[in-house]
Amino acid sequence: MLSKKIPIAVCFLFGLFGLVQYFSPHPAAVSAYSTVLDWVQIIFAFTLLVGVVSLLQIQLKHVSRKEKYWGYSIVTIVGILVMAVFGFAGGTERGTAFMWVFDNMQVPMQSTVFAMLAFFVATAAYRGFRLRNVEAGILLAAAIIIMLGRIPIGEMISARIPETAEWILNVPSMSAKRAVLIGIGLGSITTALRVILGIERSYLGRN
Amino acid sequence: MDLSRIDRRYIYLVIAIAIAVPLLLKVQLPVSVGPEVQKVYDEIDSLQSRDCVMISFDFEASSVAEIKPVAEAVIRHAFEKNLRIVGLALFSEGTAIGYNIISSLAEEYGKKYGEDYIYLGFRPQYVSAILGMGENIDQVYPLDYLNDDWKDFPPFSDVENYHDISLVVSIADGSLPTYWVEYAGSRYGQKIAAGITAVMATSYYPYTASGQLVGIIGGLKGAAEYENLLGYTGGGHRGMLAQSSGHLAIIALVILANVAALRKKR
Repeated sequence: MLSKKIPIAVCFLFGLFGLVQYFSPHPAAVSAYSTVLDWVQIIFAFTLLVGVVSLLQIQLKHVSRKEKYWGYSIVTIVGILVMAVFGFAGGTERGTAFMWVFDNMQVPMQSTVFAMLAFFVATAAYRGFRLRNVEAGILLAAAIIIMLGRIPIGEMISARIPETAEWILNVPSMSAKRAVLIGIGLGSITTALRVILGIERSYLGRN
Repeated sequence: MDLSRIDRRYIYLVIAIAIAVPLLLKVQLPVSVGPEVQKVYDEIDSLQSRDCVMISFDFEASSVAEIKPVAEAVIRHAFEKNLRIVGLALFSEGTAIGYNIISSLAEEYGKKYGEDYIYLGFRPQYVSAILGMGENIDQVYPLDYLNDDWKDFPPFSDVENYHDISLVVSIADGSLPTYWVEYAGSRYGQKIAAGITAVMATSYYPYTASGQLVGIIGGLKGAAEYENLLGYTGGGHRGMLAQSSGHLAIIALVILANVAALRKKR
């Protein structure tokens, strides 16, 4: 029972502290608040370590059992270890081995994956943007205006295009976005209150 | 041939040509400045010499091609205005990239580390880092990226918290500017601007309309607009033709698909 009661009590106390200190300029509250923020960063740094260890354990298990695609696990393990050795031994400044690998391997590889998005967007647009009804037509027209409005050629065709694109972003798009943001805000407050009051307990796990 | 069900590899080929070929050409397209970029420019331009701006590199390596011209434009403006820059990163991958960008531009402008700029490096858990800097930056970053006590640099020894920062510019490819707004803006009244990828721009319009963000520089187009204001041609302008032809190719493909579907229906 204590394994549940203690986390709920800790959560309640810190949640309440976070709420109260926001309205208190008292030096004691400010000092305690700074200390808690330090704790958060320290705890988070440890979770990073836990993440790395956990990732290594899982990948080592894949290799030892020669599971499907175990070769990729070796790449992951080597990548983690090599970067850690380079970083700790030679530092992470310009001109170091760490930065060479980062600039010449990680950046191009990640940029490549991100760049592939353009191809997927193009095929998705080709297959999905169909003029099936009025709503789809409005969506299609808005998409074309925005795409034209975000490039200089749009303005070369007509000065109205970027103006209309700006209007779409500033009026209909923003209204929808604001509704979503307000919904998220209310949802966040509700969830926070549920966690503080011990109603929401999913973070404790199943048992 | 049923064009509405064309092999996707043809679409890939069209997009590849539409983007790659213009990158090889040296054609400059005229770019006019939009209101959002103008607001960021005006805000930085209104600062006094030696005012302090904080530039946070909140992006991952994947978006460097798009976000680097944005960062360069802002840093160039800050150096030209002789502002002091405090650089940092709240995404680990942005740390080294940010340092490289800021230090290479510093060399170009003859700016010195510790006098004109410092780089604090990365801190995990961005919410507590942003909140913590509102109380005391030194507590969140006791040492800088180069492991020096940055408080020993006289031009930066008076920088304690957001009160001493005139503007925060978050160069981001995700939702970090939202956290800057929520925690540094709402709680500490810090002015914030955002340099973001184009795909994220729509998410931030409500924040600029409400005044929570000073303005936004959205993707390559935003970078090109800022370059226009600064009077130079950089990565933003170089990418404009490729971006234009890419957009036009997608529009043409969408129209083609709809015409083909319509013909098939008949």
